[in-house]
Amino acid sequence: MRFARSIGVLVAAALAATGTARAEQVVKIGVAISLTGPAAVYGATQKAGVLAAVDHVNKSGMLKGVKLEAVIEDDASTKEQGIAVFQRFINKDKVAAIIGPTLSNTATAADPLAQAAKVPVVAVSNTAPKGITDIGDYIWRVSLTEFQVIVPALQRMQAKLGFKTAALLYGNDDAFTQAGYAVMKASLEHTGIKIVGTQTFAKPDRDYNAQITALKALHPDILMVSALAENAAGIVAQARQLGWNVPIWGGNGFNAPAFIKNAGPAAEGVYVGTAWNKVSPDKVNQDYLAEMKARGVDPDQFCTQAYVGVLAIADAIKLEGGKGTREAIKAGFAKVKDLPTPLGLFSFLPNRDGSHPPSLQQVQGGKFQIVQ
Amino acid sequence: MWDQLADLYATYQSTIAFIGINSLLALSVYTTLSCGQLALGNAGFSAIGAYAAALLTMQAHWPFPLAILAAVAVPAVVAVPLGLPVLRIRGIFLAIATIGFGEVVRLGLVNWDYVNGAQGIVAIPQKTELWMIYLAVAAALFVLARLRGSKWGFALEAIREDEPAARTMGIATTRYKLAMLVLGAALAGLAGGFEAHFTFMVAPNGFGFGRVVDMLVYAVVGGSQIYWGPVVGAAFLTLLPEILREVAPLVGIEPGPLRLLVNGLVLLAVILFLPNGMVSLPRRIAEWRAARVAARSAA
Amino acid sequence: MGQQVVNGLFLGSIYALFALGYTLVFGVLDILNLAHAAVFMLASFVALTLVGRFHLHILLAMPLAVLFAGFLGLLLERVAFRPLRARADSNISGLISSLAMATVFEAVALEVWGPNISRFPFGTVPETQLDLLGAVVSRLQLTIVAVAVLLFLVLTWLVKATRLGREVRAVAESPRAARILGVDVNRAIAAAFFISSALGGAAGVLFGLAFNSISPDMGRSVELKGLAVIILGGMGSMPGAVLAGFALGLTEVFVTAYLGASWRDAVSFTGLFLILVLRPRGLFGAAALREA
Repeated sequence: MRFARSIGVLVAAALAATGTARAEQVVKIGVAISLTGPAAVYGATQKAGVLAAVDHVNKSGMLKGVKLEAVIEDDASTKEQGIAVFQRFINKDKVAAIIGPTLSNTATAADPLAQAAKVPVVAVSNTAPKGITDIGDYIWRVSLTEFQVIVPALQRMQAKLGFKTAALLYGNDDAFTQAGYAVMKASLEHTGIKIVGTQTFAKPDRDYNAQITALKALHPDILMVSALAENAAGIVAQARQLGWNVPIWGGNGFNAPAFIKNAGPAAEGVYVGTAWNKVSPDKVNQDYLAEMKARGVDPDQFCTQAYVGVLAIADAIKLEGGKGTREAIKAGFAKVKDLPTPLGLFSFLPNRDGSHPPSLQQVQGGKFQIVQ
Repeated sequence: MWDQLADLYATYQSTIAFIGINSLLALSVYTTLSCGQLALGNAGFSAIGAYAAALLTMQAHWPFPLAILAAVAVPAVVAVPLGLPVLRIRGIFLAIATIGFGEVVRLGLVNWDYVNGAQGIVAIPQKTELWMIYLAVAAALFVLARLRGSKWGFALEAIREDEPAARTMGIATTRYKLAMLVLGAALAGLAGGFEAHFTFMVAPNGFGFGRVVDMLVYAVVGGSQIYWGPVVGAAFLTLLPEILREVAPLVGIEPGPLRLLVNGLVLLAVILFLPNGMVSLPRRIAEWRAARVAARSAA
Repeated sequence: MGQQVVNGLFLGSIYALFALGYTLVFGVLDILNLAHAAVFMLASFVALTLVGRFHLHILLAMPLAVLFAGFLGLLLERVAFRPLRARADSNISGLISSLAMATVFEAVALEVWGPNISRFPFGTVPETQLDLLGAVVSRLQLTIVAVAVLLFLVLTWLVKATRLGREVRAVAESPRAARILGVDVNRAIAAAFFISSALGGAAGVLFGLAFNSISPDMGRSVELKGLAVIILGGMGSMPGAVLAGFALGLTEVFVTAYLGASWRDAVSFTGLFLILVLRPRGLFGAAALREA
């Protein structure tokens, strides 16, 4: 009975939708994110970002006669389901563009399908320098690569602290943290800083005392860590517990509110290279923060990048004169330049990677503050 | 009409392919189960096959058929020295030893810089066609079907029922068990080779403990008493997330944890109420009907 | 060096705690309860909720969470294991039904608490540190090592000296013989599950307190390591599990220190593999290998 009723509601909703469709063109965006599995922690915040951005665009009236609609599907953090979701978006939902997938591994498996079907994809959390946008001309990305974040941050830190030696600690069983490590290593070598020791951990690990003790004995000037959010807080807390007060510099995974919350006082003084400067006084960013607060969401970098992914699609549609087709969105992407977003002025580079100012943050008084 | 059919096919193409690939993996667990051995190293064998094939097509530029042959042969060769000592241990201990093997393979790949560690091998050319996968499934089923009722089949069954007794009857138990382990490794490697050339990439994360548990679940849920049971299980469980994707919005379930819950509950229901797997469902329904008719006539 | 020994003993006590309950069920039923890690996780979340939401003191919240875990054990036994007991392949089907329950538990945790990492409020336990011959040890770490040893002693007493313990051991030897001797087999097995899961729950709460990262997938870190520990320790042997827990903890720490952590897990699993092949009864086990 209840089932019959819900079908009735659905039919009514469908009729209503077609009713408005006469007046408005509906542009469907497929959102393939990890809502279950190991990457669920990122998928949940990405979902919040996408939904907020779609509401924002639709309410703002910036796209006259076009209504965005997000179709969200869970890829369960696996490439199998990531591929299945992509094929569904491409052939069944016939979306105009795809946002996702959450994990780089899944992206390298699923993005080629969109490329072959000529459906534009916006990556919002893949940061591996290679293997994403070089898949083809339909694959774009909002998330800065590790190179774009780490190299400038490292230069700024080097100027500030003048360190000569470094130790590295990274998660070696995860594509995201491994890619981050590779970039850290390359940029350290490039800057002439000596790497005195390297240790690894696995994603499920929660005890890092052995690695930290081993690195501490080498007395590096700085400890650089490439870790996911779930590992980051524990690493910092345990290092401080062992009485090691070395400056710590964290990679992209440290950019979660959960990091400061879980590490507490131990997080003080930790440096993080970041794509999103949360405390930026810029009006677009402040409006965004107010908007998210009204929705009851405490946004992190992943949420914001997902939000900007939708903004980029909207801007591409606008630049193509309100045309929301796959080809139009792809063509529009190439023209996205200095778009005001919470991430700062955003442009797509000729190689389809995104570009906006990265920043270096330091935890001070329980909050991320920008290091000038 | 034809357009819609074509769209439908395109939508579920990968699911269809994965039904086949997962069937091969389920059969690879079934081969050892058929002689009563719970060997769970198949994620490792599959990884070896996948990496071997991917490296051969990308680095050595071997033609795809030869690379696939290597995906079959390399894990099969690895299985021999592994099997000789390991098959002496039994039951859950064999399972754990082989899980250990699988983890060592995965960790080896994570630490191997040449294959990009955790990021895996990417941009592998897509060469696997659906017909190849299903031809392989059909061939595997054919071999396993022929085994039933043959001298081999009887020997395997004797080992499964009572291994010491089989040995006293003069059956070379170790040789049979080893042969099935090697066959399982070959099937797992084949599935890996196909997968690598279907999904454009392979990474160590795809070959962890969770993957081999999936394979076992396919085999047992489908029915591990008969050779085609694992295929039924693989088909059902590969389709389940896609079915839930269709059904969930109709009943108001959002993507996410609730689907995971349904997945778990379905698995539990099958294992509790269908002891011989899904293949026994028709017979179970017939039994229930008969019981109801009997109850009614009694009343 | 001294610090690494401390690190190893601490890590080892975590493994030992997890493995104690794991090995009890394994010893009694020859069944791997793959939901053990999920019970471990749920107990941690329940304690967190009691402390964080209801502001209970941890010394009150922990026993409640442990009790809750015990009841989860009863539920597991009733739903996932008892109906399968008569089956010939009960060790494989039990593996799968417990896996199904683990999936259900994880889905519930995801739905109720979300995928984020949570932690106990600051100051839940005093965070004081001691200096032990140049090594830093927190009071909490010492407590955890002590609790691991204490629980082991209590459990050993329970199994060796009480009537319930004798019944459980009788069932482990032979359910049929036990029944003939008048043992209520179902009750004994249920009791074993209650105790096993309660221990798993205690391990979960202590793990949550020690590492302050509670999440629906926190059990993954100990799932396979726990398996290695019960094998090294010898099937169903509780002293073995404790010794093997400490041995694995120390091995991992020293491999990390001298070879690098990327070899740590590979060394652990190769060791597990070799021990199964060369000495299947485990390093510390005396019982002959039973056919499962």
